[in-house]
Amino acid sequence: MAIRIVLAGEGGQGVQVVANILAESANAEGKEVIYIPNFGVEQRGGVSIAFVQIDDKRIGSPKFPKADIVVALSNRAVNRTLQYVDERTTFIYDDSLVAAAEIDERAMGIQAVEADPRSQRTTELIDESKVKDQVQLPDNAANIIGIPANDIAKNELHPRVFNIIILGTLLKATAVVPLDRIKEAIEAKLGAKFDKNPALRDLNYKALDKGMSLVERLV
Amino acid sequence: MSEKPVKGERRVFMTGNEVCAWAALAAEADIMYGYPITPQTDIMQYWTRLAPKYGRKFLQTEDEISAGFTTVGGVIAGKRAFSATTGPGNTLFQEPMSMAEMMRIPTVVIIPQRGGPSTATVIYSQQEVTMTTYGGNGEGFRIVYSTAGHQDLYDYTIKAFNTAWKYRFPTFVLGDGYQAKMREPLTIYDPAERGIKMVKTEPLVGLPGTPGIHRPAQYLRNTYNTEEELYDVVMEIARDYEKAASEIIEWQDFDTDAEMDVLILAHGVVSRSAQGALPLLKDEGIRAGHFRPVTLRPMPEEQMRRAAAKAKRILVVESAYGQFLKLVKQSLYGMDKPIDTLLRPGAGVTAEEIVDRIKEGR
Repeated sequence: MAIRIVLAGEGGQGVQVVANILAESANAEGKEVIYIPNFGVEQRGGVSIAFVQIDDKRIGSPKFPKADIVVALSNRAVNRTLQYVDERTTFIYDDSLVAAAEIDERAMGIQAVEADPRSQRTTELIDESKVKDQVQLPDNAANIIGIPANDIAKNELHPRVFNIIILGTLLKATAVVPLDRIKEAIEAKLGAKFDKNPALRDLNYKALDKGMSLVERLV
Repeated sequence: MSEKPVKGERRVFMTGNEVCAWAALAAEADIMYGYPITPQTDIMQYWTRLAPKYGRKFLQTEDEISAGFTTVGGVIAGKRAFSATTGPGNTLFQEPMSMAEMMRIPTVVIIPQRGGPSTATVIYSQQEVTMTTYGGNGEGFRIVYSTAGHQDLYDYTIKAFNTAWKYRFPTFVLGDGYQAKMREPLTIYDPAERGIKMVKTEPLVGLPGTPGIHRPAQYLRNTYNTEEELYDVVMEIARDYEKAASEIIEWQDFDTDAEMDVLILAHGVVSRSAQGALPLLKDEGIRAGHFRPVTLRPMPEEQMRRAAAKAKRILVVESAYGQFLKLVKQSLYGMDKPIDTLLRPGAGVTAEEIVDRIKEGR
């Protein structure tokens, strides 16, 4: 079965590392995999986005229109990934990082058109400063799941294993590769560091478990 | 002699740029000349990391004009030399590549196409088809392999060196930014173990012996004094090129044996979307086939015409605004077939988009 995943976040959140480990382990499992990191002219400050496709047979186009799973880890990442969501998509976001708007801005827009623009100003209805930092989640997804990965990393583990929590979540949600393969890929990538500091290994595996406990299998 | 870089067969998972560096090593390339430009730079970076371990060389030049000419120089010195560039860099390469056409210099250049015109994007396109097949002030006496993925990149980078040195035409491996940057599995191998013999290289100047006595004189010229002189030279190159063409052309066809409602023509990575569209179209009750030229120059014209003859309509799909379409029209000249298009300059094409385009056209 083909699984198409879009993973997006801010630079430094480790989105590409997660995509890489997932792709490596699926390859090690003998699956067909295509992983494309986004790359623009900007060197810093853009939304980092990764496209991963995993299949049993040879994969066609590297690009795909809609994803089975979208993971968005910042407000900007939510906006950037809406185009990959349709009625079959599971949309996972970090609800400790993404401020989801409770008021439907599009509905508000319609009201504003209906009202007399000279007498009706949006500032009278809502606190704009608050809305500015909020983002609209997709309204067409099959599932929308908020997970507090960042808070868990910060409060229970270590901020640096935030992305490993996300990896655990993805692993559980897709069940596309066995846990052992993921661990092998993590060892390949971080094994040298683990050997120097065995506590790191423990921390990463805890983060992986924690991430897996946050969701059910979805695909 | 240093150790072989690739032994036996190995399934690997790497970026297309890394694949190209490994392929050049496996093909016994002696030296790469280059100037960095995204998304090509990683080929240079992988090469500079790998090459010294196997006694191979690298020279970074001051720009792409120089990268092209030094590659020509390396080949003239008898080295299996190559380069890689893209976009505006490919534009600058046209001058040295014209010289390579005229002097029959077997250069190899890898081109992971980026968006155009001008600086545009560093991401992806198929907008360097015209420039790579027919660029420069020449007649397009070049060989261009359009790859569709990592196995192709490995196979055809190795093959490019042999085709170039066997037929003595500048040879290009035309990829794209997706293939350059994405990772997918492929099998790398030692060419010798698969029975692929690398064509021997030799210096084109400074040969031993006295010219005219011990050996024929070498005339490496790109300057001529009279129209007649030039005419004879170009016509001889044209004859050689046309003679070699039937041995060089490569293609793939999918479901083209039976009558078709539509034949999809696409090259490079877009061919994968076309292949992906076929089962989806079948589900919709549409009889579709796909023809993919692997060589864009020379073009497998007869094979394309044979496939087209069995289709009611043609759909040309490409990530450019009609560059491949132009080559198709040239190949199918005189055939009475309606041609539809899905042209997406600088943007990827998915299988779903091809299906939608065909359904919309019905």
